[in-house]
This record gives sequence, structure tokens and C-alpha cells, in this order.
Amino acid sequence: MSAAGHALALRGLSKRYGSFTAVADVSLEVGQGEFLTLLGPSGSGKTTILMCIAGFVEPSEGAILLDGRDITALPPERRDFGMVFQGYALFPHMTVAENVAFPLRVRKMGAAEREAKVRAALDLVQLAAFAERRPSQLSGGQQQRVALARALVFEPALLLLDEPLSALDKKLRAELQDELKALHRRIGRTFVNVTHDQEEALSLSDRVAILNHGRLIQQGAPAELYEAPRTRFVADFLGKSNFLAGTVQEAFAGGFAIGAGATRVVTAAAAPPALGSRALLSLRPEKMALLAEGETAENTVQGVIAGWSYLGAGYALNVETPDFGTLRVTLPTWNAPIAPREGLAVRLGWRAAASVPVLDDLDQDRAA
Amino acid sequence: MMAHRPGWFARISAGVVALYLLLPISIIIPVSMTDQRFLSLPKQGLSLQHYVTVLFSPEWLGSIWQSFLIALAATGLAVVSGTLCAIGCWRLARRSTDLLRALMLLPIIIPSIVYAIGAYRYFAGLDLLDRFLGVALAHGVTGIPYVVITVSTALAAFDPRLEQAARGMGASLSQTLRWVILPRIMPGILSGGIFAFIHSWDELVIVLFIASRDVFTLPRRIWDGINENLDPAMAAVAVLLVVFTTGLLLLDLALRRRRAE
Ligand SMILES: Nc1ncnc2c1ncn2[C@@H]1O[C@H](COP(=O)(O)OP(=O)(O)OP(=O)(O)O)[C@@H](O)[C@H]1O
Ligand SMILES: [Mg+2]
Repeated sequence: MSAAGHALALRGLSKRYGSFTAVADVSLEVGQGEFLTLLGPSGSGKTTILMCIAGFVEPSEGAILLDGRDITALPPERRDFGMVFQGYALFPHMTVAENVAFPLRVRKMGAAEREAKVRAALDLVQLAAFAERRPSQLSGGQQQRVALARALVFEPALLLLDEPLSALDKKLRAELQDELKALHRRIGRTFVNVTHDQEEALSLSDRVAILNHGRLIQQGAPAELYEAPRTRFVADFLGKSNFLAGTVQEAFAGGFAIGAGATRVVTAAAAPPALGSRALLSLRPEKMALLAEGETAENTVQGVIAGWSYLGAGYALNVETPDFGTLRVTLPTWNAPIAPREGLAVRLGWRAAASVPVLDDLDQDRAA
Repeated sequence: MMAHRPGWFARISAGVVALYLLLPISIIIPVSMTDQRFLSLPKQGLSLQHYVTVLFSPEWLGSIWQSFLIALAATGLAVVSGTLCAIGCWRLARRSTDLLRALMLLPIIIPSIVYAIGAYRYFAGLDLLDRFLGVALAHGVTGIPYVVITVSTALAAFDPRLEQAARGMGASLSQTLRWVILPRIMPGILSGGIFAFIHSWDELVIVLFIASRDVFTLPRRIWDGINENLDPAMAAVAVLLVVFTTGLLLLDLALRRRRAE
């Protein structure tokens, strides 16, 4: 077993239940020691893909390769992957230590070596003091860490995690996210994580694959997905976004301009679409600024504050504009140029590169 | 939510039913302590002489011992095959296994006299009449439904992800069975075992058909005693039987309570 973890590849993976397609033609590569997250709304096929990788669900089509070897037909008990199930699946009739020892007992490891490994695994997740308790006597976060220790104790080269943090409260979740990330750095194994929490996906992963209706919509590094979403769904699911719709009016080197009503918005793009076609731009709320008198920007629109809320670190404003409807704008509180007030007229400005052209996949969604 | 309190009609009918169930059982208690030499209520005073007779009579003790061994063997057979059948049906979970499970309940649906006639015909050819093995087999097979029912119920509450977790960690089928599935459904197995034991312990109809002299179980001896000599020792035996069976049921109750916790 390599210490660096396995490389995993999915080739055209599909899973159908009768006439319903749960996973449709998904191809993915996970490099050695990489942390990949499958992100998507409920029912998008994340668990199904993970279960195919683990071997509990037989794909209708496609292949799963481990270090280039086809393992599609291999039964789960011969794959040697560590797995943390949605809801942990700890054995309720065993103590914490017995749970963690289970994979070692299965491998007929000697008692002394087994005990040493169990202790090391429990130390790793800081649960050594709870070794003799039953899972039912632990909090959700502690149970999650037992599940993690149990998945790690036999040093699997690939670790599969199905929403490992979903049952935890926000603070504990953040804590365990950090722990999980540190663990990944420390042991250098390949992790495949499933979540529908976009913050978790952004903060933990080397790479994120976004799924919707069983299809892979886009994959890439977190920053790449956030800064350059390919479709409306991705922009909307990963963080918040405003959408500006208009007609392409002018194309120039490295960008184009759209018009909607009396407003013109420029954007950066490698290949501008045809003049006169419809285009959709995604614009993150934090990428706009309130412009002072006489200040200019590559893009500006006039608007009126229709509503606002205080969020501690920032203000969230809803700015009513004549041509793009309501735009959501966030400002850091500490250097907000104004005190927000309903009915206040403001001028918003942003750089061309901040408004990103995206494919409008909502119509396809409705058709699906 | 306020619980509905039962009205007077429900209370009275419940009392009548309970009385109806308990009276025949409770009448044997004074009868077993009669000072007379035939089956009757006590006249001058209470006496434990018939208990002494039973506990020192080689016939009664022999029958008790034989019944106990047969019930033990039958329980073993019923528990092993009933548990395996229930687990197999649960794992495959097809329409055909639902049918199979229904089929396994036949022994308690078919009148035992019908079953006894069939067993008599078959066992004659196999030289199993009036044999310990024959009676244990017949009781074991008719005890299977109790185990199938209780184990299937326990399995319905078993989280299938535990099995997946075990296999994902590399456990073979037999390791998963021994270390994960069986410990989780053990209360159901024990419960089924207790019922299978009681079933064999007081079974009479089949025994009347397939056993005659060598195999003489306790219910059979009581039956013969009633027909032949009205010995009050029978009432004493009956009381012992009731006490023993009640003990087993209380054990089952205790096991269920522990599982519920
Ligand atoms: N055994 C099955 N039979 C039929 N349909 C199934 C089966 N398992 C899953 N599905 C369907 O496949 C789709 C994808 O399910 P999956 O469990 O992969 O979703 P998920 O992305 O993990 O969702 P969640 O975030 O809610 O866990 C769902 O619409 C689900 O109803
Ligand atoms: Mg899921």
C-alpha cells in the first residue's frame, strides 16, 4: 500500500433505477493524496457515486479505476477503502475501542499490535478517554470522530466520507473541518468527501466537483469554481450571486458589452458571443462598491436601497435598479462609506472582470 | 395528549376474559394440594403429598427429563434453521423470499392433527416412530415459525448500513454475521428459542401419534393419567408445568425490556 494514497478515476459512470437516472455519465479523476469533494443539492447523486466507488452500488454503465486498475466488479470487502457513512453507522453493541478495532480484527491482527493501533487512532481524534464507552453515550461530534478513527485505523489508501459533518452544529462543524483538513495534510491519503454544504467544500478541498440531477456540472479548484463559474447553477450554488441578463451589443479584444434598457455592462471574456445574442453575467455581492460623488468604475449603475440588514461583519443591501431588478450588495461594516437607510439613492461600481459570463442552465433544469 | 381511559364496559369485559383464562389454571392449584387419593378439591386440609409423589416417582421424573431433552433438541433445531432462514430471506429480499417466509409459518397455520398424521406416515417409513430423534425432529420443525417470526422482526429493526460498514472494512460474510448481525438480533433469537421450547414442552397431539412406549413425554403422561387413574399427582405436575412456563415467559419479557433500553 502506498503511503501517498491511491489515484482514483471514474469513467462515464451511470446509475439507473428503473427509468430514473440517479447518476448520468460522470467522469472524474482524483489524484494521489488529493482531497476531492462532491458537492450538490439533495438528491443530486452524491451518495450514489460514493456507494459505487465503495462497491455497494453496481454502476449501470462505466468503470471505476484504482491506480489504473479496473475495480468495477470487485466486491466492497476486497477494496480496502476506509468509509465514514452518512449517520456514521457505528456498531451500537460495541464500545468505542471495539468499534475502532473492528477492521483490525477482520484482518486477524495480533492483540498487542491491535491495541497499539487502536490507541494511536483514538489519540489522533482525541478520544482516548472515551475508549470504553458505547456510541450511544457519545455526542454527535464524538461519534463522528469515532467513525473517522475506525475508517483510518487500518491505514486505507483511500478514504470515503459521506456528509461526515452534516449532523453537527455550526461551531463544532467548523472545528472538525479544521481537524479533518489537518488530518489530510498529516497522513497524505486520498480523500473523497460528499457534502451539500458549500462552505465546507470550499474550505476543505483541493478540488470540488459540482453535481446536479446526477450530472457533473463543473469541477476545479475551489477558487476557480468561485471566480469563474461556468453556469448559472454553479454560480448560485457556490456562494451567492446576482445575475445580469442582456443583449450582446459590442465585442472587443478580451471582452464584450451587454445592454439592458439604458444600462451598458462590460465584461471580460476570452471568446465573446455573437452580437445580438442573449447573455447572462454573474456578479458576486461582495465585488461591488458604493461609489462616492465623481468616483468612476468600469461599470456603474444607479439604484435605490430597498432594504438592508446588519450581519455583524458586513451589511447586506438590496439595491433596486431600473434595468437589472434587485441587486444584492454586501459591504464590510468597518469601512462602509454610508450608513444604510431605506430609500437612499446609491451608485454601484465594479470592475469588468467581476461580472462573469455564465451559461443559463436553469431552463435545461426545468426541462429535466 | 390525554390518554383515553377505558369505559365500564371495556373494563368488565376485560375482567371476564382474564377470569375465563385464569380460572382453569387456578383450579388445579387447590386440587394439587388435596388430601384425598383421587382428583378432587381438598376436604379436611391441605397436603403436599402429591408433590412428594411426583418428585420421588421414577416415571414422572423420567418423563420430565425426557420432555426437557426433547424440548432442548427441538429448540436447537428450530433456532438454527429458523434464524438462518430469516437472515437468508432478509438478505435476498425478493418477492420469492416473502413467499418462502409465509411458507415457513405453515406449521402453526395447519392444524397439528393434520401435521401429526402426515408425520406418522413419513416416520413409519424412516423408522423414526417412538424415537427420541423422531419427536425432537417433529417438534423442532413445528417450532421453526416462532423463531422465523421473532428473528424477522429483529432484522426489520437492524440498520442495513451496519452490514455495509462491516463489509466496507473488509469483513467477510461469516465475520459480518458473527460480529455484527447476530449480536444485534440476539434478543429476537432468544425470544424465538423460548417460544420454540415452550411449544415442544407442552406439545401433545403429535406425540400421541408418533410415540408410544419408549418416548413418554410429560404431557403424554398427564394425558394417560387422566384417562386411566385420576391420580391427583397430575395436578401437582400441572402446577409445576405452569410455574416453569411462566418462568420462561418472564425471562422473555425481561429480555425484551433489555432490548428496548
Ligand atoms: N435504491 C434506490 N432506488 C431508487 N432510487 C434511488 C435509490 N437510491 C437512490 N435513489 C435516487 O437517486 C437519487 C440520488 O440519490 P443520492 O442518495 O445519491 O442523493 P444525494 O446526492 O446523496 O442526496 P442527499 O444530499 O440527500 O444525501 C435520488 O433522487 C434518490 O431518490
Ligand atoms: Mg447522500
